[in-house]
Amino acid sequence: MITVNVTVNGKKYKRDVEPSKTLLRFLREDLGLTGTKEGCGAGECGACTVFMDGHTVNSCMVLAAELEGRSVETIEGEAKEGVLSDIQAAFDRHHAIQCGYCSAGMVLSVRELLKRNPKPSVEQIKEGIEGNFCRCTGYQQIIEAVLDVSGQEGSKGELHYV
Amino acid sequence: MLSGFNYAAPRTRGELLDLLAAEGQGAKLLAGGTDLLVNMRSGAVKPRLVIDVKRVEGFSGIEWSAKDGLVMKASTTINDLLRDREVRERFPLLAACAHDLASYQVRNRATVVGNVVNASPCSDMAPALLCLGARARISSKTGTREVPFKEFFTGVKRTVLKADELLELIIVPAEEGGARGSYRKLKRINGHDLGIVGVAMMKKGGLMRIAVSSAAPTPVLVDGLNETSTPEAAVAAVRKAISPISDLRCSKEYREHMVEVFVRRLLEELK
Repeated sequence: MITVNVTVNGKKYKRDVEPSKTLLRFLREDLGLTGTKEGCGAGECGACTVFMDGHTVNSCMVLAAELEGRSVETIEGEAKEGVLSDIQAAFDRHHAIQCGYCSAGMVLSVRELLKRNPKPSVEQIKEGIEGNFCRCTGYQQIIEAVLDVSGQEGSKGELHYV
Repeated sequence: MLSGFNYAAPRTRGELLDLLAAEGQGAKLLAGGTDLLVNMRSGAVKPRLVIDVKRVEGFSGIEWSAKDGLVMKASTTINDLLRDREVRERFPLLAACAHDLASYQVRNRATVVGNVVNASPCSDMAPALLCLGARARISSKTGTREVPFKEFFTGVKRTVLKADELLELIIVPAEEGGARGSYRKLKRINGHDLGIVGVAMMKKGGLMRIAVSSAAPTPVLVDGLNETSTPEAAVAAVRKAISPISDLRCSKEYREHMVEVFVRRLLEELK
């Protein structure tokens, strides 16, 4: 067992972890934060995306043992005092959620994108979420939500509707 | 599920090299983990000890100087490279290859060193490093040696690294700064995917170098060309250097065809 001190959504935890435990399983099983989902377990789908030290990572490919002194943010930290974050509210308005399985990772990837690029183009949005699969294929609504939350609803013309 | 192993996070280079010397084949180095943890999960790799290199002092960041060139460390991530102004301005080919590697969150973790020590034929960083004449600084408890990337890859997933050795630094010579370059990678989708074939081209001071991924057991460098080489000569030289196979992603013939298409497009782009 390895002892780690880690901050998750602003709260400090001290836990003993098996070397083989991933950050994803640590969040879900040890801390009960089940908002983060497992999809492929191999870094393809992005369902397990969380922030670690200010940048997004696939939590299925991080060991919990690596967490000493690190700070993690998950989807549970997104809404504040029961109020949806701006990104979550935009997803809600645009029906950018179907089954919801990709949403946690998708919202956090959008957060990362908007941090570095507050007004992304449609192409840049697609690139920002390229590591997040939505198998309901509801990508158009997700892109619309990002355009909305970044104050660019007028740019919808760049989207091609079939 | 990952099977049982021990985890160590040494703080100094000395401790790390001692651990590697003691454990040899049983140890695996962990940087970004984007290949290692996937391979461990599938059971393809079963280390007794996982050694995290990210806590080692001096193993992160990226340095540029007119004397030593561009130096990448064992924990330098792909996005560290892309966020670096010197890289974007002086080494556009490195940035182009880095940008085509996987997805944003993978690039936040994946390292340049990890991408080359894996020695996958479809490595995205290898073509840039080959074109730019980069060198690998390899260290072990017994000493340090330097190997040009041209001689680094020895086969599919094989390199010159021995079990007790670490690829500590990647050095791109300063004189390659300012070289023009671009990368074309054939994928099934526009988003992140492994390359079906990849072609990198660099031009500087009359020289032209081309490197190709996913078209031979290792990424290959095509030397001996220059800026006045005709498209036909460039295509012929590249064809001679590659030896693609047919696999589940595409046929040998399609790879050969697309390498030629990309060489011609790159010549147009970098005119």
